[in-house]
Amino acid sequence: MEAVLSSNPRTQPAFRLAMVIVALTLPFSSGCRSAVSDTPVGPPIRITPPLGLPPVPIPADNPPTAASIALGRRLFYDPRLSRDNTVACAHCHDPRLGFTDGLRLSLGVGGLTGIRNAPTLANAAYAPLQFWDGRASSLEEQAASPIADPVEMNQPHDVSVSKLASDPTYQAMFRQAFGSKGVSLSRVEKALASFERTILSGDSPFDRYEYGGDKQALTPAQIRGLAVFRDPTRGNCTACHTIEPTSALFTDGNFHNTGEGVDDDGKFKDEGRFLKTHVKADLGAFKTPTLRDVANTAPYMHDGILKTLKEVVDFYAGQGNSNPNLDPAMRVIRLSGEDRADLVEFLKALSGPLPPNLGPPEKN
Amino acid sequence: MKTLPLVSLAVLLLAGCSPGPAPQPTPETKPTPTYFRPDPATASTLRGAIRLSGKAPQPKPIDMSEDPACVAAHKGKAHDESLLTTHGTLENAFIYVQSGLEGKTFEVPTTPVTIDQAGCWFHPRVLGIQVDQILQIINSDPVTHNIHPMAQVNREWNHSQGPGDAPLSRHFSKPEVMIPVKCNIHSWMHAYIGVVDNPFYAVSKKDGSFEIPNLPPGTYTIAVWHETLGTQQQQVTIAPHTPATVDFTFKPK
Repeated sequence: MEAVLSSNPRTQPAFRLAMVIVALTLPFSSGCRSAVSDTPVGPPIRITPPLGLPPVPIPADNPPTAASIALGRRLFYDPRLSRDNTVACAHCHDPRLGFTDGLRLSLGVGGLTGIRNAPTLANAAYAPLQFWDGRASSLEEQAASPIADPVEMNQPHDVSVSKLASDPTYQAMFRQAFGSKGVSLSRVEKALASFERTILSGDSPFDRYEYGGDKQALTPAQIRGLAVFRDPTRGNCTACHTIEPTSALFTDGNFHNTGEGVDDDGKFKDEGRFLKTHVKADLGAFKTPTLRDVANTAPYMHDGILKTLKEVVDFYAGQGNSNPNLDPAMRVIRLSGEDRADLVEFLKALSGPLPPNLGPPEKN
Repeated sequence: MKTLPLVSLAVLLLAGCSPGPAPQPTPETKPTPTYFRPDPATASTLRGAIRLSGKAPQPKPIDMSEDPACVAAHKGKAHDESLLTTHGTLENAFIYVQSGLEGKTFEVPTTPVTIDQAGCWFHPRVLGIQVDQILQIINSDPVTHNIHPMAQVNREWNHSQGPGDAPLSRHFSKPEVMIPVKCNIHSWMHAYIGVVDNPFYAVSKKDGSFEIPNLPPGTYTIAVWHETLGTQQQQVTIAPHTPATVDFTFKPK
């Protein structure tokens, strides 16, 4: 992750040349997923991260352009990507709810209930692996999965493609973004991913305090809470919700077992990371979620079982739920009542303004 | 050498004629043990009282102010209840049959034993349960608790229970007297669970009295455990259909 984040390759001339070569060769390569090129055309734009965030990692084969981001944004809010034209991506990732749905478990087409809590999309751009169980290795790979998922948008990809292909507005937008009007799954994925890379949450009171030199940005309780958050003998929160010297994602992008979801018989109804890896130690482990904007993304945990930040802090104060794969970092947590109250206050300091142009396209 | 083709043929035939389902592992059927049931015609009740000689220290107040929700939920001032005594009696002693029942197996009651977390306090503080009997754990509080039975013979575990969460249903698979229980969040919360493999146990009441009904005739070691005052034993012989009495007196430490 560090290597990816250490420099921004998009700005380097060699990278641009490479992109041209890739763009020229891709349509002819046998690895192509469809007949049309899925390489964005037009000049890549620089996504400037807000205070407290590192450079946004950009895959070499999907440099974001104004046109691909605009297309992704339109797709994101389009319910036609669902079987009955009622459920858009934004249905579960509503910008008014911190790009979540505020529900314990998400509702898909026909009111079907999923098994997990919708994670925020804020800063998903930085995650090395996507989904609670990390089963997708990029935003591109992740983007279309909920469209076809039977308990989410439940629409076969060929149906989505033909629905979009018959719409003149999309034809123009796909042409602008990818050089021709053709719709392909890969183009949809790339446009959605590029839009998602613009959903960045930083410049919070914490960032202004920690990285902006504004020592008034946090309240005294929040400053105490930050100290508890970092203290390995008290909160030990940074063991997973990382804070770096010049930026903070509040997640290590890794998978940990807090015991959340273990039942009376010691079993996990949702086996988490194990579902992907089939490694026993991954049973009940889930991706560390970012804590950015966490005050606006209740309820919490992969199954949405904890309703408030206080309940979350108390869950950790109790060292979670014992089980054979419990992360050792849970065992050292020691929180007094004041520590717990301060931590809750600190968590409220992680919300900053979202960039413009993230809402439904019609309204902007 | 001549037998080789025949063997091969046999193997082929064997392989060819087993298209049916693979042999199912036989489900683990534990042999139903013969449960011992005391004969009501001969069984008797053992009664007694647990007393405290001398003066007991004043119970110390407990400060819950670090969790204001606990202060509100507790209703009234909290005091240390590790030693509860009224006029020389001792409450919350655990009385059980330590020996004398060897070779007898007792049915596990189907009714659960309940422990509640209410007012940031365990209710009851001292409880007995049979091996494999269900312990139902309730959180009646508006705050999260994390119950942690610090078992040594049984498996140690802890589990978070938020406000309004469903009860937990757990059990202990081996006898263990006593398992100290704490809440990982609220340091003042304590309980003790006595796990025994028979139904003959009691917890002394406010007046120090206890009653163990239905004991079959025999000679037993009756043991008493108290949270701060330690343990005592006495031999007791139960004659057929004859109520017996045994008292214990602890000294303050």
